[in-house]
Amino acid sequence: MTLKLTYQGDTKIPVEIEGITPDIVQQLSLAEIEQLPVFHGKDKCVLADFFKISGDSADLHMHLSGQLTGVHWIGTKMQHGSITIDGDCGRHLGSEMRGGTIIVNGNAGDWIGGEMKGGLIHVHGNAGHQVGAAYRGSERGMNRGTIIIDGNAGNEIGLTMRRGLIVIGGNAGDLIGFNMLAGTVMIFGSSGIRHGAGMRRGSIIFMGEEHPQLLPSFRHAVQYQPEFMRVMLRKLADTGFHVTEENLNASYNLYHGDMIDGGRGEILLRT
Amino acid sequence: MTASYLKLAGGYVYDPLNGVDGQAQDIWILDDKIVEPPPPGVRAGRVIDLAGYVVMPGGVDMHCHIAGPKVNMARKMRPEDKRRDEVIERTQKTHSGTMGSVPSTFAIGYKYIGLGYTTAFDAAVPPLSARHAHEELEDTPCIDKGFFVLTGNNHFVMKSIADNEPEKLKGFLPWLLGAAKGYAPKLVNPGGVEVWKHHPKGNVDTVDQTIDYFDITPRQIISELTRTANEIGLPHPVHIHCNNLGMPGNYSTTFNTMDALNGYNGHITHVQFHSYGGGEGEEESFCSKAQELAEYVNTHENITVDVGQVMFGETTSMTGDGPLGYYLHNVYGTKWFSADTEMESGCGIAPIKYRNESLVHALQWAIGLEWYLLVNDPWRVVMSTDSPNGASFTAYPQIIRLLMDSTYRNDVLRTVHPEVVNRCILADLKREYTLNEICIITRAGPAKILGLKNKGHLGPGADADITVYLPHENKQLMFELPKYVFKSGVLVVEDAEIREPLSGKIFHVDPDYDLEIEKDISDWFEQYYSVRFRNYPIQDDYLHHAEVVDCSQPEESPNKSS
Repeated sequence: MTLKLTYQGDTKIPVEIEGITPDIVQQLSLAEIEQLPVFHGKDKCVLADFFKISGDSADLHMHLSGQLTGVHWIGTKMQHGSITIDGDCGRHLGSEMRGGTIIVNGNAGDWIGGEMKGGLIHVHGNAGHQVGAAYRGSERGMNRGTIIIDGNAGNEIGLTMRRGLIVIGGNAGDLIGFNMLAGTVMIFGSSGIRHGAGMRRGSIIFMGEEHPQLLPSFRHAVQYQPEFMRVMLRKLADTGFHVTEENLNASYNLYHGDMIDGGRGEILLRT
Repeated sequence: MTASYLKLAGGYVYDPLNGVDGQAQDIWILDDKIVEPPPPGVRAGRVIDLAGYVVMPGGVDMHCHIAGPKVNMARKMRPEDKRRDEVIERTQKTHSGTMGSVPSTFAIGYKYIGLGYTTAFDAAVPPLSARHAHEELEDTPCIDKGFFVLTGNNHFVMKSIADNEPEKLKGFLPWLLGAAKGYAPKLVNPGGVEVWKHHPKGNVDTVDQTIDYFDITPRQIISELTRTANEIGLPHPVHIHCNNLGMPGNYSTTFNTMDALNGYNGHITHVQFHSYGGGEGEEESFCSKAQELAEYVNTHENITVDVGQVMFGETTSMTGDGPLGYYLHNVYGTKWFSADTEMESGCGIAPIKYRNESLVHALQWAIGLEWYLLVNDPWRVVMSTDSPNGASFTAYPQIIRLLMDSTYRNDVLRTVHPEVVNRCILADLKREYTLNEICIITRAGPAKILGLKNKGHLGPGADADITVYLPHENKQLMFELPKYVFKSGVLVVEDAEIREPLSGKIFHVDPDYDLEIEKDISDWFEQYYSVRFRNYPIQDDYLHHAEVVDCSQPEESPNKSS
């Protein structure tokens, strides 16, 4: 049976529910779950102050519903299990998660999958800035796992990411893959400026019809039809993400960069 | 009056300065001082039974980085370091704070006093930023403190030496210390930071290399500042961070620096980082030269050292040695901050992670321990980690265990890079420190070296800064959690809880000088500085609680080699 958390809070102050994940609550009774600590701004409260809680978590599945845009850090450090969110949710979704699945049937805020180390986050709406990014000061961001955003996303996607896959189905903002160490970012819509600035390795792939203007520190290498793209797109389609036949058969212009930092990264522009 | 006596009764007292080595004794406190026992019949207002406990003076950290612009910049550039570490929660009596390798101001005070340390000195403050450093120290509670003033790359100093005007230097140095309300002159990579400012990757390789524009050498800066500081009677004449820190083969520079003291009193700081053999930039031949250098220290009474022990883990390197910060950034590929403080100094900051599987890091760890074990006279070697450069000051209890327990030391040695035992003699050193010797290297010795007559001992007239430990076979556990810590006669810590977070005082010097020099300095300021001369000195009333330390130390005659 699923553990159901229905948000009933009426506050404009952030509610932070860090550490309340299926693997943590699995061993707890309903009464114990209700008393788990959360923050309301700087004040310590308990989960039951903001959520109506029912069901149980024996099947490692949590279901959250309600107006959750002010609820942050959902699924932080989750190890396994699954979370489904019906509606919009706040910032830091799946931060540092190591495994399991989070599905959002709505929009999500900034810092989705910040420094995540495994698992899958799939947002069926839009997302904010810094998807899969490193937190300020950190050496590396996302370091394994998959983030799929069906809609649009903001700036600094994959900031300093080290491994893993980020897919944006719609449009994206500026500085995609800024300081990227490795990993893959795919954008299916249009995007802003200065992508791949300072990237050392990794791939940023623009699948949309409008290509962004690249920085002068990226150098054209070849036009080709890499087999790995076919494999990756098929695997992406397995998650339910819409991949067209045209995409599967596309060819790409390959650019190497950022030349100011070794030039071992690559940007692919679909022709 | 009777009621105001506090009597600490029957503890095993360690007071090496007064020749007390673990005898059960009473200590009488009146207000903030230790006093003679009152006449028979006079009873204490409060008696604390310390039977079975170990009683020592409060610890004295003579070299750490706890205030000033570099410390604040390190806090700002390492949010990830703080995010991962413990949070200091606010209580009714204490402020909240953050830890990481560079804790927030209040947290530094709480952690020092929690370890039984009651005095700490920041080792490198540019005089131009002294006001900022004093403001941070004002927010560092529970401990007494002070700072050393960067002078080794100061343009006025170098120009005075270049122009062969020792009287001008003899006027400027005391003026600068008094203006900054600092405690001692600090030489950081003398001359090298100036070269770094003029050339890409610039630095000096030896103490005899010429410094651009001034046409003088690091050796001249060391010799002249040391002689001048001794002549004006400073309680802690010079505190020297030698050239070529961290470089293979730098031991010869350290020898030359000690030689450049010309027999005058001088303190070589974080000497571990300056004790390396091997070819330039070569890991293949990197080895310890601690034995040769320690032998030199053993036979030259004018020299004292603190170690700068490296411990394994992540920390932040911060230094007035600008080229060193750049070097570390290039070696480890980490983020880096560099600053140029006008005509005074530089600064470099970079994160660093010491790993026990790294030959270089493990050897640095071993060389530090060699220094403690090879200097015969514990009064001339001081415990330090150069916090946070080698490790946080919170590592002191673990270092104590390494020194007091050779079995534990060898156990740890077996876990580090296997080549270390071939590059140093640590495995052959069987010496174990006694509690009395630990008391010397952590409080009595540094207090004496700093010239603080009321610190580091428990005799009448001493400040009532006292730490009480519950004896334990594991000395790390014993020193990590004191039972009681008294500061200025007040019980500040009991069972790891802060009862009364006092504000400590600032120690500084105010040496006399020929007022005629102010005309020269004023002209210099108006011509080159971004600050007007009259706005530069810190006024007496700027410090809320300060103690001026006497500058009439008897001038020791040079050539005291034994």
